[in-house]
Amino acid sequence: MDFEVLIENTLNALAAGITIGCIYGLMCIGLGLIFGIMRIVNFAQGELLMLGMYASLYLVTGAGVFAFLGPYVGPFVGALCAGPIVFVGGAVLHRFLIARVSGLRTAGSVDDGHFGQLLVTLGISLILQNGGLIVFGSTPETVRTPLASRAFTVDGFYGDATVFLNKARLIACAVAIIIAIALYLVLEYTRLGKSLRAAADNPTAATYMGIDVDRAYRIAFALGCGITAIAGGLMATYLSFGPFIGLDYVIIMYSGVVLGGMGSILGAFWGGLTVGFVQQCSALVLPPQLQNAAIFVVFLLIVMLRPQGLFGRSAERA
Amino acid sequence: MLEVRNLSVAYGGLRALTDLSLSVAEGQFVTVLGPNGAGKSTLFKTICGIVAPVQGSVSFLGQDLLAISASARAHLGIAHVPEGRQVFKTLTVRENLEMGAYTKAGRAQWLHTLERIHTLFPILAERASQLAGTLSGGEQQMLAIGRGLASAPKLLMLDEPSMGLAPAVADTIFERISQIHREDRVTILLVEQRVAEALELSDHGYVLETGHMVLDGTHQTLLADDRVRRSYLGLTDA
Ligand SMILES: Nc1ncnc2c1ncn2[C@@H]1O[C@H](COP(=O)(O)OP(=O)(O)OP(=O)(O)O)[C@@H](O)[C@H]1O
Ligand SMILES: [Mg+2]
Repeated sequence: MDFEVLIENTLNALAAGITIGCIYGLMCIGLGLIFGIMRIVNFAQGELLMLGMYASLYLVTGAGVFAFLGPYVGPFVGALCAGPIVFVGGAVLHRFLIARVSGLRTAGSVDDGHFGQLLVTLGISLILQNGGLIVFGSTPETVRTPLASRAFTVDGFYGDATVFLNKARLIACAVAIIIAIALYLVLEYTRLGKSLRAAADNPTAATYMGIDVDRAYRIAFALGCGITAIAGGLMATYLSFGPFIGLDYVIIMYSGVVLGGMGSILGAFWGGLTVGFVQQCSALVLPPQLQNAAIFVVFLLIVMLRPQGLFGRSAERA
Repeated sequence: MLEVRNLSVAYGGLRALTDLSLSVAEGQFVTVLGPNGAGKSTLFKTICGIVAPVQGSVSFLGQDLLAISASARAHLGIAHVPEGRQVFKTLTVRENLEMGAYTKAGRAQWLHTLERIHTLFPILAERASQLAGTLSGGEQQMLAIGRGLASAPKLLMLDEPSMGLAPAVADTIFERISQIHREDRVTILLVEQRVAEALELSDHGYVLETGHMVLDGTHQTLLADDRVRRSYLGLTDA
């Protein structure tokens, strides 16, 4: 009897771990593009997630823009539309601030512009958090969809054990996977994607090829902002959030990206998935306060065994 | 084709080039010689727009290069094979070549130029899906030249392509550059330390010393010049 409960809890934790993990994976891809590939340290990534959540919230409820789409489709379309909105915000941010501390400007400098990036993005992060507090208020919000309280049930694994698959999370997970694959294909196989990677790899040589490096960095940065914002919009359908939610997730994003291997989009996704999975499964045995500690134990273990990350491959001769 | 007039370049107050003039006519093979630190790479970087001059003008096919951005210059038909190869290490060999063909001309002739590059450097076909950072130095140099060719350039600028290569590999590289000049009719501007080989190929040579153009002429004139013979060829007398 007790054993059946244990099986049921384990299966449910695994299911939650995979669905939430995929959404974390998408969130990490946004940072993977900015930090892993373009090598820009961005401490405001958590706030982009937060902006994605609020953008989606206001699209769906605030202005009633998506009222006609209904409570089932609306929240997910809202999440998708948060992407382009934050993309534009990211492009503007890059144009006026980030461009000054990255790309050709800092190519070949001692720290590759990392100190500047650290300070600038930390400042942006503080401004967005407190600006968010003023504009959005401190009341926790959520993008309500009836799907969040419904679940598919799957049973027949073992006795009466039943796995509940939250519908909102399941759809969010599917959307996350589709966008992750699309972005991967764009980066890996299109001329635009290759030019972004070339600009990140060697900005000077990319300029010799005729690639507008400043523009490439702008696109990559904005894309990274937009992707994380979509993940935020998706998460907003099943959790409640406030202006400071970014703090909880920025660490998760960095560990996901490093875990997966810098410079690899697939790696960032798997890194995020691993983090989400560990977090959910640790809930089985650990009190909630220790869940993030569990993430870092696994993080340290993986980084000890595979310093280049799960998917990192070395491009230097040994 | 390329006209550099009275060019002066400084790095934060330190002069690297002083009142330098140079011209390359269509179809020519021009070599720039000079000791370490003479400003040869600086000249190339200025032509490509990575470094801005304090004075002077640079024009290509009648167009003022200083008026347009660095990345736009590649689209006019200037390819730069930089000092130290500078391949995209995290991209595959094929992707490096594709990035070479980023220009409109490069894309239009892609299949044709790719075949040509593979004929000149068969190793690049063999290693198509290998990461460029894991190639040997010689292979990286071939890739850098191939990448330059992929843009279907009118002018190919090469900065010390034989640097750090074994003599046999360096000979191959020189042979290929000569082929590119003769068979593909690409105008060449070359910086080299291997003076004898470089001058043999070139129509015209310039000698640069501490930022000043001290000598120029056809390869016969330069080979006959005492200073060149002593400083670069290590010959004392004939
Ligand atoms: N980014 C820079 N900042 C400051 N000084 C520089 C910079 N780049 C080059 N210089 C200086 O300008 C001068 C010319 O350098 P350049 O690289 O053009 O020489 P070079 O002729 O290509 O030499 P080599 O044969 O060794 O490659 C040198 O004195 C060098 O120290
Ligand atoms: Mg040099």
